[in-house]
Order: sequence, then structure tokens, then C-alpha cells
Amino acid sequence: MKILIADDDALPRRLLEKTLQRADYQVTTVADGRHAVECLSQPDAPRLALLDWMMPGLDGPGVCREIRKHREQGYVYMILLTSKESKEDIVEGLESGADDYLVKPFDAEELKARLRTGERILHLEDRLVEAREQMRFKATHDPLTSLWNRGVIMDLMGRELVRSQREHGCTAIILGDLDHFKNVNDTHGHLVGDQVLREVARRLLLSVRSYDFVGRYGGEEFLTLLNNCPPDSALVRAEEIRKAICTRPIQTDAGPLGMTISLGVLLSCDWGHRPADELLREADAALYAAKTAGRNRVMQAKPEEPRQRVPTPQPAGERVR
Amino acid sequence: MNKANRSAESASVNLSELLARVDNDRALLCELLSIFKREFPDHLHALRNAVAGNDSAQAACISHTLKGMLANLAVAKAAASASRLERLARAGEISALGDALARFEKEVEGLLPEMDSYRAEARP
Repeated sequence: MKILIADDDALPRRLLEKTLQRADYQVTTVADGRHAVECLSQPDAPRLALLDWMMPGLDGPGVCREIRKHREQGYVYMILLTSKESKEDIVEGLESGADDYLVKPFDAEELKARLRTGERILHLEDRLVEAREQMRFKATHDPLTSLWNRGVIMDLMGRELVRSQREHGCTAIILGDLDHFKNVNDTHGHLVGDQVLREVARRLLLSVRSYDFVGRYGGEEFLTLLNNCPPDSALVRAEEIRKAICTRPIQTDAGPLGMTISLGVLLSCDWGHRPADELLREADAALYAAKTAGRNRVMQAKPEEPRQRVPTPQPAGERVR
Repeated sequence: MNKANRSAESASVNLSELLARVDNDRALLCELLSIFKREFPDHLHALRNAVAGNDSAQAACISHTLKGMLANLAVAKAAASASRLERLARAGEISALGDALARFEKEVEGLLPEMDSYRAEARP
């Protein structure tokens, strides 16, 4: 495990370094508090630190305070090394954010035991962070496809529309619906249907840039947001998505299944300042138009003649699939 | 190194404690003694100047460094004298610093040659 030693005195610094190297720590040494803060603020920095109390520039408690200010970093377990022994000193050290203190000259066995305590706490923190990340992922992603879930993709759409308006850019909203998906479920069962949805999600992700967003909007509906999308390339990109689904059959337990997708495309810059739900309704209407025009195609929602080109969608359940 | 004889002869360094501190690593002991030999005279010189100039803050700082250095090398008596100097300097008792310094210098008199002899014997 990595550990930082900060001590302006060369002799105790070297003694500590050697003691900890013998105990299999990867040791970094610095001679003052400022360098300690720099070192501990680096990516992949040591998460254990032994800090001398008195150092020029920034002392040990000062280092603790600086590090504790940056809460987004992983936790650093800090032990102050001190020859101060009064209760007031110890309280001050711990109040600064130190986790523990050791009185100099240190006893090697006691030092190692206290570092093991620090490692236990860091290990516990790692497990808590991991659990939090798992919960965060579950709260934001669709469990079947691992795409953004409906709530998140809608939030992202709202944010992207505001951003593109502010920057006078354009966001392409692409609403896609797998054609005849109900037949897959009815004919081959839901497990095969799930395999199809997972593969479609994978192909959608491969069809977009790393900074675009893809979410599962409903059962077999997918919402894709292309950020900073030049208006003349939106249809081309949507066409690429369509081809990504229909070009190769999807391998399932029931054998290869040919699938197609219908897509409704809307460019935010064509529609001025409209609420996100209104734009989504228009994209849905374009998707419906693609379905009624024969499926496996892309239709664009245009503000000039929205209801002429794009019929009003039927309520869910009565829609053409 | 004849530990028993040396410990009996000298009141300065607790050799068995020092060897335990370096885990009987002679190369490390040699390295630490070299650091001491290099840095101790400068610190002592700076301490004399601080006391002569009535600079109690500087005197406290240097005494603190010397205290740590000596404690790490198991020179307990001299470390205690350095600690006394530090306390006096922090308390701003300028008038008492001269005597405390003289006492400290007496404690560390002969320390460098003693360390040198350990270093010569510890050298791999």
C-alpha cells in the first residue's frame, strides 16, 4: 500500500521510510507541508499519510485541514507525528482532521499497528463507496439493458436542450421503437425478447459518440440524444442507427432474428424555445409517421407542417408497432 | 560492536535502544549517523546564534529539531536538555536560555566523536 511521509527532518524521515519499506509499504517522502498537500491531491495518491506536526510553511494540522477541504477525493487516513504531549495539542491535532497521532520517537511495532487500523478504515470506506456506486447505478440505469433509465434520460434531455439554447447549438432527439417486437415476445418468449433488447441497446451505444446519451424510454422504445449535432447530419446519424439494427440479425437462443427499428428525429434548433415534453411529443409523432409509412425508416419532425406530415399518435396500446 | 562495554562506558547513547530502532540494520544506522554528523553542527550553530540574538521563536524551532534528532538516536539525556531549551524558548524566557544552552552543549560534548566511532563500526 502507498504511504506518504512528510517530515522536514532528514533523520526521522529516513528512519520512517526504511521502517515502512521493510513492512512492504510503497513510500513517498516529502520535506514540507505544501509538498504533502500536492502529493496527496494527485490522482492515485497515497491514502495513508504520516505527517510531522512541525514543518516549515504548512504544518501537519494545516495539511490535514487542506486535505479535508476536498471531500470529493477518496478518504486519506492521516497520522500526526508529534513530540507534543499536552491534551490541548492532541485535541488541536485531531480537530484539524487527523485520524490519529503518534508521539516521537515512534515505536516501530506501535506505528505498524496503527497503520493497520488505518488500512482497515480505508478498506471499510472502499466497501461503502462501492456499495454507493452500485446503488447509484441501479437508480439511474435500466436493469435489463444498462442504458440510462427513463427518468435520467428525460432529465438529460431537459439539460441538453437548455444547454444547446444557451450555446445556440442543436440537440438531435431520436425516438426509436423496435418493429414488431411484440411478435418476438409472443412467438419466442420474454427471455428471447430480453436478449433482443440487450443487443439492440449494445448496437445503439456503438452507433453514437461517447458524449451522446442513449436511454430506454419504454418497453421497446429508446431515446437517443445527439449533443451539438450539426443539423445536416442528424438524419444521416439516425439512418446509421437504423442500419445498425437491421443490417445483421440478432443472435438469440431461438436462433438469429432479423429486427428493424423505426425512428422519429427532431432537431431542437428547428423548434425554437419549446418545452422538452412538447418536443418529445413531436418526435413521437414523427416516429408514429415512420411506423405508418411502413416501418424500418426515419422520419423527421418539422415545425412548419407538423400535423400534415406527422399524424397525431394514437394512445399507447393502440399504437402501430 | 561491543554493545555491553560501549553502553557501560557512555551515558550518551543507549545503543541497544538505537539498534532496536533500526532493527539491527547496520547500513541504516550508518546512514542515520551520517545525517546526524552532517546536520547536527549546523543546527547547534544556528541555536547559538538564535540564543545570542534573543530570537526565542527561532531558538524554539531549532531546539525542537534537535530534540527529535537526538531522541531518534536514543540520546535521551541530551534530548531532554533540548526539550528544556524548547520549553523555555516557547515561554519567552530569554534570560534562562543562555544557561540552558550551556547545559545542553555540555550534554552533547563528545557526542560527535562517539557517533563517529559507532559509524565506523557499523559501516558494512
